[in-house]
Formats: sequence, structure tokens, C-alpha cells
Amino acid sequence: MTFIPAHVEKILENALVCSFTCIDGKGRPVTHPLLPLYERDSGNIYFTSSVLFSKKLEYIKRNPRVSALFSNRRFIMSDEFHVVLVQGDARVLEEDIHHGWEKLLPLWRKKEPYIDAYVKQRIALPLFWERSIIELAPRKLYVWNDGDMSKEPQIYVR
Amino acid sequence: MLEDVREYDEAIVTYVDDEGYPFSYPSSYRIEDGAVVLERHGWLKKKSSDKVSVLFNHITPLPTGGYMDRRYIVLWGGIEEKQDTIRFTPSRRYSWDEKKVHFFQYCEISVPRGRRYMQLLERELGRKLKPALSLFSLFFRVTRLPFLIATVVPTLLGAAVAAYHGIFDPLLFILTLIGVAAIHLGLNMANDYYDTKLGADNVNTTPTPFSGGSRALQYGLITPSAAVAMFSSFYALGLGIGLYLAITRGLVPILSLMLLGFILSFFYTAPPLKLAYRGVGEIAVGVGFGPVIVLGSYYVQTQGFHIAPLLASLPVGILIALILYANEIPDKRADALAGKRTLVVRLDDQTVMKLYKALIALVYAIIVLTFAAGYAPFTTLLALLTIPTARKAVKQISETYGNPYYMIPGLATNIKLATTTGLLLAVGYIIPAAYNLLIT
Repeated sequence: MTFIPAHVEKILENALVCSFTCIDGKGRPVTHPLLPLYERDSGNIYFTSSVLFSKKLEYIKRNPRVSALFSNRRFIMSDEFHVVLVQGDARVLEEDIHHGWEKLLPLWRKKEPYIDAYVKQRIALPLFWERSIIELAPRKLYVWNDGDMSKEPQIYVR
Repeated sequence: MLEDVREYDEAIVTYVDDEGYPFSYPSSYRIEDGAVVLERHGWLKKKSSDKVSVLFNHITPLPTGGYMDRRYIVLWGGIEEKQDTIRFTPSRRYSWDEKKVHFFQYCEISVPRGRRYMQLLERELGRKLKPALSLFSLFFRVTRLPFLIATVVPTLLGAAVAAYHGIFDPLLFILTLIGVAAIHLGLNMANDYYDTKLGADNVNTTPTPFSGGSRALQYGLITPSAAVAMFSSFYALGLGIGLYLAITRGLVPILSLMLLGFILSFFYTAPPLKLAYRGVGEIAVGVGFGPVIVLGSYYVQTQGFHIAPLLASLPVGILIALILYANEIPDKRADALAGKRTLVVRLDDQTVMKLYKALIALVYAIIVLTFAAGYAPFTTLLALLTIPTARKAVKQISETYGNPYYMIPGLATNIKLATTTGLLLAVGYIIPAAYNLLIT
């Protein structure tokens, strides 16, 4: 049972992109836009990262404390809008970088319906499809309801 | 550092909070005196820090799902409270805009990092890792299999002219085809191996499906020693079949053609000749895929030479050389960096296109003149049906010249032009040959 409220789950599920941050070796935040894949059953947010863009994977392995910010009304494909910051601990899953990430394709397909066509063309970009999974287990949420940043955020803790 | 950050909806400000987790929030912003001026929310705890990142991100969501127009900028620096605002002064930045750096190029630039990470992972997992491709996909990619069409066309043409002259043995044709194809695959792989060794493929960050090599060595799909073993095997197979054909069909002529073909093929990239690096690669390809293969295929069938197959080989040789020539355009920067003085590197862009058009015109002139001189049947004029394709190739290549990824359709049309013209030319010889066979 997840501690994430339903109206927040809606945002996590319908965001096309979020701002994912990990922390580098010098304690500096490193933020990149990433496609979030929220799994309701576990309450975890998943991301996939190609080995081509693997710096963040090395950072996460050294320091698992990460965050994902869901903002910008235009990037949330839902009738509701709230700004949500998810803080949590991440794990890098890479026992099978060839095919392990394919289990996330059903969630991925909902956000990028054309993804299967690209996967079929794996031969064109072989290293791009060698991918690690980042599993973010949320521990604290900051929610600015209706995207109103002038007010204090509501906080939910696991 | 801030010149292109004005066009975004919001700034994502991130610092590490007191619990050691990244804390991010969106903010409106403006640029002022080399700094990003951010909103100062009342609830915000941290108002100064020297370890802050600010992300500007843009995508255009598509109504059908997904998005396009990806671009983002990440800045690192410090924030400080100033009157009623927060000022962020950046000291470092990282950015990507897919309109400026194509996604394929972005991936290509990152290949060394990807390979390093896979090596790290190999150590962590205690097992070997290489990109997962099925055996067929691997073979397809490593050997650049589709380019074999450049071998099929001249081999068929030589045999078609022989059939027109009344002699055709299908078994010999198949054997010739396998032998020549093996040498071609050897060429493709030797070219990759030596272009990697000499640096041309390594500095190329804009490969396309038609240029920049197979990337098999750059991506770690095979090891250099496996590449050597593979191209040696292909050459051994090709030369073995050639030797058999020489012994059974004509020792000196076939051995001479085979030796010339092998030299042009192997030393196309390999030292010490490195023909492609000296601006004669295009001629080597034109001669190898034109007269050498067509005459060889003709000789295996007829055990004699004739001017007709030589004339028939010229348009095909030129068109196949033009495949290489056009494919060199996207590689121009990398080739120049690696000291590979291809014709495209040597000539200015306008001359490259003028020569391309002139050679295409020459192809059709040779086809017509060969018929007019009585060395080819009327039906070979079928090859003129590709003139609209030639016009299309010229238009597409001219319009996209120099932009590797936009050139892809033009390069594909150019390959279609060479193969269809060559096939129609062969058909032009096969029609009367088949007719003669049926009426006698």
C-alpha cells in the first residue's frame, strides 16, 4: 500500500517528463529531464538510462539520494495539475541491461506510443538500447496543489 | 553562458537540502547582468548556496502521445538572496538541442562513455558484456550486408552479356557470385578495420546508414581480432573460388582479374597503398565494381573477352563509384580530420555536385552510344527509365548537401539509381537472350 495520495499518483502517471536529480561526487546536484514511469502497485517510479548517458548511474551508485520534480502544466497530460517533488532512495538495476528494461515497455508505451518502432530498430543504435533501470522508492513528497507555488507545499512522508 | 536561456517556460532550481536529498522547485526567471533572477518564495528555506543547479527544459508534446523538439540547458553555480529576489550566478553549463545536434549524433558522441560504462559493469558483474543483437543482425551490421547489391548487379550484368552472346551456365554464375560477394564482404570488413586503425571512423560522429562504416568496432560489437579473422576468411573463400574458376575456366585471365580485384579491394583502405586516403578510392571502386567484375563474370561464362561487356561495365562502374562518392559527403569532416583525401575532401562543394551531375550524364550517354555503336541490343535502353530517379537523387543531394542526417533519403535514392540502372541494363541483355533461347 503506497502513501502517495491519488491526486499525486495521477500526476506521476501522466507526466511526459520530470526533472530528475542525483548528487555528484562533490555533493552538487545534477539535474536531467527524464521520462518517469510510475508503477501503482509498488508505488515506485522507474526510469531507464542508456549506458551512453550513464554518468547519473555512477552518481546514484555512490549516493542513492535522489529527487524527481513534476512541474510545467504543458508536460502533464491530465485534467488535474499539481507541482510534485518526490524525494527518495534509488537503486540501479542492471543484471540484464540487454532486456531487463523491456518489462517497463507497457508503462513506457503509454507515454511514447511510437517506442516499439524504435525498439525494433535496435540494430541502428545498439548501445542506446543497453539500458539500466533506476528504481526510485519515494520517501517524502512535497505537493503544491494546483501548481500554486506561492503557498507552502503539503508534505507526505512514508 | 546565458544567451539561449530566455526561451523556456520555467527554471528548475535544485540544491541539496538539510536531509541530504536534492530539493527542486520551478521558478519564473529573468536574465539580468549575467545572472538568472529567480522568484523568492516565502516558504523557501535555503536562500544561499554555492552548489545549485538550474535546469531549463523544453519539449513539444504531441497530440498522439510522446513529444518532439527536445532541448535543455543545465547550469551550475551559486544562489544568493538580494533584496526581494534570488540571484543565480552560473559557472558551468551543459546543454543539448536536438535541432542543433541530431539525436543520432548525440548518441554517437557518447559512445566512448557507453563503452567505458559497460567495461565497469563487466567488472561489477564478473562477466563479459557486449551490445545484444541477434546473430543475423550482428552479421547484417558487421558485414554491411545490403551493400552486396553492388556486387550482384555487375556479376549479373557480365553473365547477362554472356547470355546475349549465347553462353550461360547457371552453376558458374552462382559460383562467381559467391566468390565476388565474399571478396566484397572482405572489403567491407577490411575497410572498417583499417578506417578504425587509421582513425577515420573514430573521429566520425555523424555516421549514417550509408556512411561512416558499420561502427561494429566503435560499438564493441566485435573485437579487432575478430574483424581480422572475418575479413581474412571472406578473402580466403573468395580467392579459393576464384582459384577454382581460374583452373577450370582460364588460368591467366581469371587470375589476373582476381588479383587486380583483390588489390583494389584490400588496399582500398589498407596500408601501404591506402587508395581511399590518396584520392583514388572512387576510381578503384569504379574499376573494381565495373570492368573487373563484369569482365570476370563474362569470362567465366564464355572463356573469352569482348568489347561489349567492357562497354556495359562502364555505366555500372561509374554508378557504383558514385554511391561511394555521394556517401563521402557526410564523412567529409571526419575524413579530412583523419587525412583521408577523398575526392569530396579535395574538391569544393560546388565542384563535387558538378562532377556528380556530369558523371550521371556520362552514364546515360555511354548507354545510348553503346547501343548506337551496335554493341548492345535496343532493349538496354530500358536503363534510361531511371532518368527521373537520377534527377531526384541530384535534387535531394543538392538540397541537403552537408547535413548528414537530412542527406539520408538522397543517399538512398542514389543507391537505388545505381542498382536499378544496372539491373535494367542486365535485363536489356537478358530479354533478347531469352527470346533467342525460346525460338531456337
